[in-house]
Amino acid sequence: MKTSLKIAIYSGEIPSTTFIERLISGLVGSGASVLIFGILREKPRYSSGVTVVGYQLNRFAKFWHLARYTLLLTLFKRGDKKRFDVYLQQQQKTDLYTKVKCYPVLWHRPDVFHLQWAKGLADWVWVQDFGMKLVVSLRGAHINYSPIADTALAAMYREYFPKVDGFHAVSEAIGLEAQTYGAHPEAIHVVYSGLPASEMEAEMEAGIEPVVKPKNLPAKPFQIVSVGRPHWKKGYTYALDACKLLKEKGTLFEYTIIGGAHVVDYQYQIVDLELDNEVRLLSQKPFNEVQRLILNADLLLLSSVEEGIANVVLEAMALGTLVLSTDCGGMDEVIHDGETGFLVPIRDAQALADAIIAITSLPTAAALKIKKQAQLKIKEQHSEALMTSGMMRLYEGLFVGS
Amino acid sequence: MTDTTRANKRIGLVLSAVPGYSETFFTNKISGLQAHGFEVQLFVTDQSGVIPDVLDCRVQTAPFFKGSAFRVLCTSSWVLLKTILCQPVRSFRHFQLDRSVGFSFSASVKRLIKNAFLLEESLDWLHFGFGMLAVGREHVATAIQARMAVSFRGFDLYLSPLKHPNCYDLLFTKNVQYHVLSEEMKGDLQANGVLESAITVITPAIDVTFFNSKPNTTELEGNSKVQLITVARLHWKKGLEYTLEALAVLRQAGVDFHYSIIGTGEERERLVFAAHQLGIIDAVTFMGQLPPEAVREQLAKSDIYLQYSIQEGFCNAVLEAQAMGLLCVVSDAEGLQENVLHQETGWVVAKRQPQLLAKQLVEVIQLSADDKEATSIRAIRRIRDDFNLKKQQAAFLAFYNT
Repeated sequence: MKTSLKIAIYSGEIPSTTFIERLISGLVGSGASVLIFGILREKPRYSSGVTVVGYQLNRFAKFWHLARYTLLLTLFKRGDKKRFDVYLQQQQKTDLYTKVKCYPVLWHRPDVFHLQWAKGLADWVWVQDFGMKLVVSLRGAHINYSPIADTALAAMYREYFPKVDGFHAVSEAIGLEAQTYGAHPEAIHVVYSGLPASEMEAEMEAGIEPVVKPKNLPAKPFQIVSVGRPHWKKGYTYALDACKLLKEKGTLFEYTIIGGAHVVDYQYQIVDLELDNEVRLLSQKPFNEVQRLILNADLLLLSSVEEGIANVVLEAMALGTLVLSTDCGGMDEVIHDGETGFLVPIRDAQALADAIIAITSLPTAAALKIKKQAQLKIKEQHSEALMTSGMMRLYEGLFVGS
Repeated sequence: MTDTTRANKRIGLVLSAVPGYSETFFTNKISGLQAHGFEVQLFVTDQSGVIPDVLDCRVQTAPFFKGSAFRVLCTSSWVLLKTILCQPVRSFRHFQLDRSVGFSFSASVKRLIKNAFLLEESLDWLHFGFGMLAVGREHVATAIQARMAVSFRGFDLYLSPLKHPNCYDLLFTKNVQYHVLSEEMKGDLQANGVLESAITVITPAIDVTFFNSKPNTTELEGNSKVQLITVARLHWKKGLEYTLEALAVLRQAGVDFHYSIIGTGEERERLVFAAHQLGIIDAVTFMGQLPPEAVREQLAKSDIYLQYSIQEGFCNAVLEAQAMGLLCVVSDAEGLQENVLHQETGWVVAKRQPQLLAKQLVEVIQLSADDKEATSIRAIRRIRDDFNLKKQQAAFLAFYNT
């Protein structure tokens, strides 16, 4: 087994999403040396264990990036470059952008190349021919619905998934889905997303307060919140249909969708269902503001039709806010109905409305118990330390016996 | 035949793009007006495109105000100079009218630059093909001393104001003749303060000689597979996700069916995934966009036409399906209730309620052959009598002769 691994984390953009950035910092903390490749969107701010190999999105920067690595490879790794250029010709990928992307990886040649988005797999299978281990993350849309609508993508997965050295699955459910495209079960490692220890401690503490504050007073509307980009997979149409049912039942509530502002189909549905006084659509908010809104809510609602495991649910559970989720993707791996939150079937506005009505009349002691169990679940299953150690086990396992 | 008494009338029609061959609404309208001696001048705001040969009219395209700041400055300066020199009176009048309703000096100049291309022609009518095209151009008709007309489609009237709040406030204070597609839209326009006398309902029309079929007498009961069809863009407002949910209920009820969707659009992935998740993907075909002859061929093979839209101005596709003798089941979205008369020429179901749609479909499928034939005959007769191109052209002639 290698003692100090050189791991490339590739999402195509620098910096990447919150959970990928958390992974990077966790790996560095574990002693790994991390390489990041891709387009520089912002000036990188990483600790000393991270090597950034990025370029800005303009012609000059791309040209300079390509020229630099072409020269280095020509001077010092001529054989590798020649072999790779032959491969590109065979694949009919001789465009300059492919070289801008790939030459730096060929030059640095990490021990592990960890691709975050499976859709890009066809561009990176070559790394195995140069001694790198290929790891692919299995995340939401890339596995759960895109290959269903895109038969060419499904065919690509079926061709390459059996060859991938290791998969990082964000849930058991998505790992099973990947197997339908030929991923070997023994190559799949479930590593749950983790919340940073510092944030989790603060959130856990803060989460106690709303548990004991008086709730469900007749005059106070029940506060429901959803957080997420305005994408169809979030199932907000079902949530809004459920709001109509709640209103018809006389339930006093307010529903806020953070990230749903200026989306005309939601706006039209609100007008159509006469929910102007009950529903508000907010624009995307900074992380701290989102946390405050979740903390102040009585219920976090996840109405999705598809998810890996939604991070916002983990955040809400850690904060001590009750969660009602649809039973999609890996949500049942963190929410056990009636124990750590509530689960209802997907695409069922009536079930959502019924569950919300039941939750509004939940006795305080029962709500408190569920919140505490939810917080415990997060601590036991979704800490950043667990995520980092899980990922390191995955990477190190690739070299066992070699 | 040319009506020489109208030969001196000139109509300027403002569209976002030149209508294609398949856009029968505008091509029929233009050719009809030309046949009656009107001179039609097209103004295009976004792109020029290719003028269909059947439309022998001149096209004036708006200047291109995109690109670098320097380019925009140069174009704007040239346009401003040209309009002041070539149309000094009209330009001054436009500027003064804008100033009189509170636009600042710079805003009035910007509006003048934007609208300068519309000031060059002498017209009897300036007709904006969509409501949003008249926004920012409220004073052009007065400036050129023409009468102003605005056509509202469903999207303009119901969705644009959600995206651009109060966008029609200024327009609704002006002396404008409005054309809408349905009585429902007329009522909604009146609710915005527009006088009833200023609104004319002219419904869409279709070529009843092209969409022409025998009444539907197919026996749907028994073991035969029911052929369902929709022709629509894959857009959220078409309610196709609700339709698929209803079909999942239909399958649970033991009905053997096949559903074809003709059309393309941004929601394809969402809908394919929905069909997959609902367990009916084997019974659904996404056919993509087809030419009119192929659409007619598919309609001829089908039993029931579905248009379970969330928002719909009127919908030509439903007219075409009725003319072809299909049994039509539609939602109650805006103009659809006038397009199909409930239990007379088809069936109208409350929108966003898939259970109700499924129930209605079961009832229709179980109808006797005589009842089906009677409905089909009534629909065909009504479409032929009330929604033919000749009648629509006559309505537009009357509109411009008011």
